[in-house]
Amino acid sequence: MDQLSQAAINGVMLGGFYAVMVLGFSIIWGVMGVINLAHGEFVMVGAYITWLLSKQLGWEPFATVIVVFPVMFAVGYALQHGLINRVIDRPYLISLLVTYGLSIIIANATKIIFTATPRTVDTAFSGFWRVGDVTVPITKTIVLIAALIIMSGLHLFLQYTRLGKSIRAAAQNREAARIVGIEIKYVYAITFAICIALTAVAGTLVAPTQPIYPFMGPPLTLKAFAITAMAGLGSIPGALMGGIVLGLVEVLIATFVPGVGTNLGIVSSFVILVVVLVTRPQGLFGGLKPAGAH
Amino acid sequence: MSVRRIWRIMPLFILAALLMAACAAPAAPSEPAASDGGEQTSEAAVSDNGCVGTIKLGAAVSETGKYAREGKDTRQGYNTWLDWVNKEYGGVKVGGDCYNVEIVYYDDEGDPDTAANLAEKLITDDEVDFLLGPYSSGLTMAASAISEKYNKIMIEGNGASESLFERGFKNLFAVLTPAGNYTQSALKALADQGATSVVIAYEDTAFPSSVGAGAQKWAEEYGLEILGVETYPKDVADVSAIMTKFRDMEPDVFVGGGHFNDALLFVRAAQELGFSPKAMVITVGPSNPKFVEEVGDAANYIIGPTQWEATMSYQDDYFGSAADYAARYEGMWGEPPTYQAAESTATALALQLAIEAAGSLDSDAVRQALNDLDVMTFYGPINFDETGKNAGKPMGAIQIQAGAINVVAPADAAVSELEYPMPAWDER
Repeated sequence: MDQLSQAAINGVMLGGFYAVMVLGFSIIWGVMGVINLAHGEFVMVGAYITWLLSKQLGWEPFATVIVVFPVMFAVGYALQHGLINRVIDRPYLISLLVTYGLSIIIANATKIIFTATPRTVDTAFSGFWRVGDVTVPITKTIVLIAALIIMSGLHLFLQYTRLGKSIRAAAQNREAARIVGIEIKYVYAITFAICIALTAVAGTLVAPTQPIYPFMGPPLTLKAFAITAMAGLGSIPGALMGGIVLGLVEVLIATFVPGVGTNLGIVSSFVILVVVLVTRPQGLFGGLKPAGAH
Repeated sequence: MSVRRIWRIMPLFILAALLMAACAAPAAPSEPAASDGGEQTSEAAVSDNGCVGTIKLGAAVSETGKYAREGKDTRQGYNTWLDWVNKEYGGVKVGGDCYNVEIVYYDDEGDPDTAANLAEKLITDDEVDFLLGPYSSGLTMAASAISEKYNKIMIEGNGASESLFERGFKNLFAVLTPAGNYTQSALKALADQGATSVVIAYEDTAFPSSVGAGAQKWAEEYGLEILGVETYPKDVADVSAIMTKFRDMEPDVFVGGGHFNDALLFVRAAQELGFSPKAMVITVGPSNPKFVEEVGDAANYIIGPTQWEATMSYQDDYFGSAADYAARYEGMWGEPPTYQAAESTATALALQLAIEAAGSLDSDAVRQALNDLDVMTFYGPINFDETGKNAGKPMGAIQIQAGAINVVAPADAAVSELEYPMPAWDER
């Protein structure tokens, strides 16, 4: 029983990170139809900014969000404006190639600047609480809480602000949105900027929990892809549920299958992906629009 | 086309160029890069020492991908030898002539298929005389299959898995102690201190699997009860489930077989979950000074196997003592050598000595000379057995003590006493 509750806690914590990590990917795909293959690299860049500020200037890692968010917001805006906008109306393959190229450029530039040595970020909130026989890691609890706050904030923003409504309108029907006076290019740039900033913040959150290195991106992108397809494009509750389901499945399998559990756990996300795509291609929780429609 | 229009599409051209450069990178020899020191022909252009020719060596070593860090150490190790042999030693002596050396490098990206393709390219396109190994057993496994097919000698210092040498290959030679023996001296020292049980986690790739199998063998040999064995995949980012299970088993010793990244992950997870065994033995990470830099105080008490340390008492006529080598390396690269770097230098040195003993660049003659080689180097004794493993060299163990990497086993190489047991995380 203790092992089960410990596994459940580990799984939910992992799921919280997955959920916040996947948001940016999911919304960019849902709103613009762009599959951002450089997604994992933006997580990595956020993590490196956090590392830089905390190791060099002694900042508390979680506080670096106040720098990471605006900086990456600007980067995202510029990227969308200068690059993604130019390929957005072309076939899927072009934006796939562009973002794939971006991922290679970012990862290698990071390697040149920071070297390939894996880095760790120390936070004052390391350690754990004991609750009965169960251990609750403090850092990961903070990550989970931050993930929930970010997701609620984003949900409120999309539901109730004018800009959020324009973003949803642009996702649902681009032409109609244009007709009612929404400036699509601007909305796209803002969306991309918010998503890249959130993705980088996910990097800030993950940095204190695992080593970071320039080539950590691709497995994250793959996982984001699996969760998004499972959860539905641009759906925030979907991302939360998808992330937590995946985190739980991975950790439970890893805990209760002896010997090779961790291997099987990682495979499970792709098994779930295949099953969902076959049986419920619109994702488990709906979303901005069904996968594949464009 | 107006100027304004050209300006508007300019970024696209730049991007296209960058993309092409990025995509082409794996297929083209690395440019001489200031940050990485001499690569490809940059270090080889020494023409004023009267040498009659050039020996061309080829190596596909990770510059990107999971092994980028260890790959960098490997390249720097090879380049330390390259710089020395061309500039100081005056070229490799073959018969009465001397030859300069050139190393052609590629980036295998940590991918076995790429490593195999590049080995083929080095042999057929670049027509290298000999191959130097990549970093990691998995990549060596893939690349050496190709060199065996072409009957080209590959000498390596960074593939320690026993499985490499169970294939009956005639052209693969390794200067390092095989992976199965990595944990031997550490487990023996811990058993002597009174440890009675052990748990083992290892990545399910070639080298860590050998470490894991070896750890089980030595644990039984020294009377340690094995409470649990777990494997995990290559790109793992979360080992909390493994550490939770192990915590509940309350073992004396934790053995982690993996690479640098995994070492960081294990320590972090153990700290987070309050898993405090009496000793942690982790491969690859702890013996690297960067590990202490990254982990800080939590690194204390952690034990790691080491192929080589600068404090060991080996020496030769080429690089001098282990400490001399370390000083030379630090002078060249601005960081102390890891054992991965030292064994890479020793790899190239062993090849050089075999070529000189053979007095020929012919593969058959050099292969025979490698089989006959029996020398002492700054890295330790080198004497290949019939399978190509270095049979003569023992493995050491280090422990991080107050931030310093001290050799604690075997007894004759130790500079410090093993500190046991390790205090619990919340009692430090």
